[in-house]
Amino acid sequence: MDSLLGIILGFETVLTGPNLLYCFVGVVLGTAIGVLPGLGPTATIAVLLPITFGLDPVSALIMLAGIFYGAQYGGSTTSILVNLPGESSSVVTAIDGYQMARQGRAGKALATAAVGSFIAGTIATFLLALFAPPLANLAIGFGPTEYFSLMILGLVASIVLASGSLLHAGGAILLGLLLGLVGADVNSGVFRYTFGFLGLMDGIAFVVVAMGVFGIGEIISNLEVERTRATDVKKVHGLMLSREDFKRILPPIFRGTLLGSALGILPGGGAMLASFGAYSLEKKMSPNAAEFGKGAIEGVAAPEAANNAGAQTSFIPMLTLGIPSNPVMAMMIGALMIQGIQPGPLVMTQQPQLFWGIIASMWIGNLFLLVLNLPLIGLWVRMISVPYHFLYPAILAFCAIGVFSLNNSTFDLWLLIAFGAFGYISRKLSIEPAPMMLAFILGPMMEEYLRRALLISGGDPMTFVNRPASAVMLVFSISLLVLVLAPSLRRKRDVAFEEDVA
Amino acid sequence: MNRFKLASLAVLSALVAAPTFAAGFPEKPITIIVPFPPGGASDTTARSVAPKLQEALGQPVVVENRPGANGSTGAAIVKEAAPDGYTLLVGSIGVFAINAALFPDLPYSPSKDLDLLTVFVRTPNVLVANPEFPANTVQELVDYLKKNPNKVTFASSGNGSSDHLTAALFWQKTGTSGVHVPYKGGGPAIADLIGGHANVSFQNLGAVTGHIKAGKLKVLAVTADERNPVFPDTPTLKEAGVDGVTVYSWQAAGAPKGLPADVKAKLAEGLASGAKDAQVSARFEEMGFEVVANTPEEFAKFQAEEEARWRQVVKDGNITAN
Repeated sequence: MDSLLGIILGFETVLTGPNLLYCFVGVVLGTAIGVLPGLGPTATIAVLLPITFGLDPVSALIMLAGIFYGAQYGGSTTSILVNLPGESSSVVTAIDGYQMARQGRAGKALATAAVGSFIAGTIATFLLALFAPPLANLAIGFGPTEYFSLMILGLVASIVLASGSLLHAGGAILLGLLLGLVGADVNSGVFRYTFGFLGLMDGIAFVVVAMGVFGIGEIISNLEVERTRATDVKKVHGLMLSREDFKRILPPIFRGTLLGSALGILPGGGAMLASFGAYSLEKKMSPNAAEFGKGAIEGVAAPEAANNAGAQTSFIPMLTLGIPSNPVMAMMIGALMIQGIQPGPLVMTQQPQLFWGIIASMWIGNLFLLVLNLPLIGLWVRMISVPYHFLYPAILAFCAIGVFSLNNSTFDLWLLIAFGAFGYISRKLSIEPAPMMLAFILGPMMEEYLRRALLISGGDPMTFVNRPASAVMLVFSISLLVLVLAPSLRRKRDVAFEEDVA
Repeated sequence: MNRFKLASLAVLSALVAAPTFAAGFPEKPITIIVPFPPGGASDTTARSVAPKLQEALGQPVVVENRPGANGSTGAAIVKEAAPDGYTLLVGSIGVFAINAALFPDLPYSPSKDLDLLTVFVRTPNVLVANPEFPANTVQELVDYLKKNPNKVTFASSGNGSSDHLTAALFWQKTGTSGVHVPYKGGGPAIADLIGGHANVSFQNLGAVTGHIKAGKLKVLAVTADERNPVFPDTPTLKEAGVDGVTVYSWQAAGAPKGLPADVKAKLAEGLASGAKDAQVSARFEEMGFEVVANTPEEFAKFQAEEEARWRQVVKDGNITAN
């Protein structure tokens, strides 16, 4: 019905000269800032916001949207090449992507990320076009109770992320939760673990922890080894994906796309879980599960597809209801308001050009990104063969710029140094960073939702069981926990038994 | 020799006098510190006015975001800056009034540490509810709250935000009570209101206009002196029988205390006429803002009243944010 007419209108809107140009500019900028560690779409869009005042609203939004999903594409590049996730969504890509790069398979990892993102982006765009309004109404039914249970599920899944001992993973998760507590409590406004520092009142930024623990920690431990890293990285071979590779990555891409699309719709932070969830799912389902953490190509395909799908579907609550699902969307709503467009459900009917134009631009933008990124792979791959003593000062500089650009505050740079040291120590103690990062992201949200759900229910914890969606997710969490713990307990018993025999 | 001494004395005195003698002001770029992240109301206000100030003064005007701690981080930075007119602060009712009432150890005092220049704009709050909430008028809400004490959830955009304190003031003036549910910003609060997870809220007019028009939220009253042209059928709280809950959220400009008088006058004039500029004020109106553009004297008087008023609300409501 209307969807088809809408899509036609959308393509007509995008394919007129200036909009196509703005779409292109957006994705190029997005790719660029995605590749630069620490520089995120939030800061970039903030800087560009005043420029959009003079643009037509459709062009402005097409460009801003392009920056957002372009950054999701570019963000995986540094995760894979130098183990530096600039966005929470690329933390898990670093696990296997970086291992692939070390084995000389960086080209394949990057190509997988690009192809996975493109397929996911295409599917998610069509989901958006066909089902946006009903999906948005579904999403709005998610209240604090459901979000809390979803976060529990996410946290349980994070145990699956760990490749080493469960005890270490558990410790890393607790550590992440503790770090997430720092700052003013949303409910009471009480300051926790701020030690009187104004700079800690809003908590520790994700980028600071990620850059410190992954980037700087990695650099210090690389420098410890005297040989240069260039010799450590095996010779690069096979830039392009073989038929065999495609066979391995397609199922994870489709599963990742489905999971990412579903989680992306939830405005309260679902998209953050997408890449973590997709990785955990693959690790459980893949026939090559043993390779995970050691450079499994599925471990790149699934989370990259999931995060790109999630990035696209996270537009659903914004476009159909006027509800922002992340700071970038909030800024886009700000841009709309400046243009005199009231965000809300009427945008779809009163500004069909805007709504369908953005959707159509996403598909075209994804095409641009694929065409743009595939030829760049060769260039990126050559970058890691740059001698390490040239590479790491550049990485450090970009980390520092990225962290400084968060709040324009030098305090964050001191924090970065502290987390760099912490990252090195945790590497020595083999504390795995990925589960810790997930706990760090989820912890504060879990607490926020838990307390909000209890406030609303009048303090009755039964609310988590009485609401069906929440109950289902809790049941899932428990079964997953049993599933994860059971084999390891059994293994431990086996080990104990073997020792007895010996 | 003597002449040289005289000359150097003249140069020296000129140098010493420079900070207070500012006929040439401004001679270098001016920085506006916005103590919130980009994209919010303070940021948009500052970025809308900045180009006009730049035109009027003939020097670049740069907007810099220094977010953190409810705007205290940025305000404290401005307090420490030299009072030469090259560092300005553009912030909200929170930065200029509520924080001082709420936080006992605030690192700045808006009246003692800042020269107040002008209030750019104000926007009324509206009392909105989920469409399925039983009360349809303010009177029905008050009755409902009295029958169900501490049951109805009031969503706010955060602890100590203007919508939180408006709710507290409303409870105090009507002798009712409710459950305050704070969110991280207005967006998620509105989402939960629409989803029916929270019942009622006082929100800035511009943020909910689209949702009210689409029937996703219902509007019970505006917190303004008079009815709003966007919703001419919606009564003010006063008309609805609740006195003393006229609340506006506002955006204003200040500078470190001790500006030279002529610099202060020049800046206040430049900022106020920037807000009144036809193009800028049209944009403000589209966002649901009313242009105020008052004088430093009017702002100082208004700030004192607002701070005292919120101090009372915080005290009576036993509200703590630390």
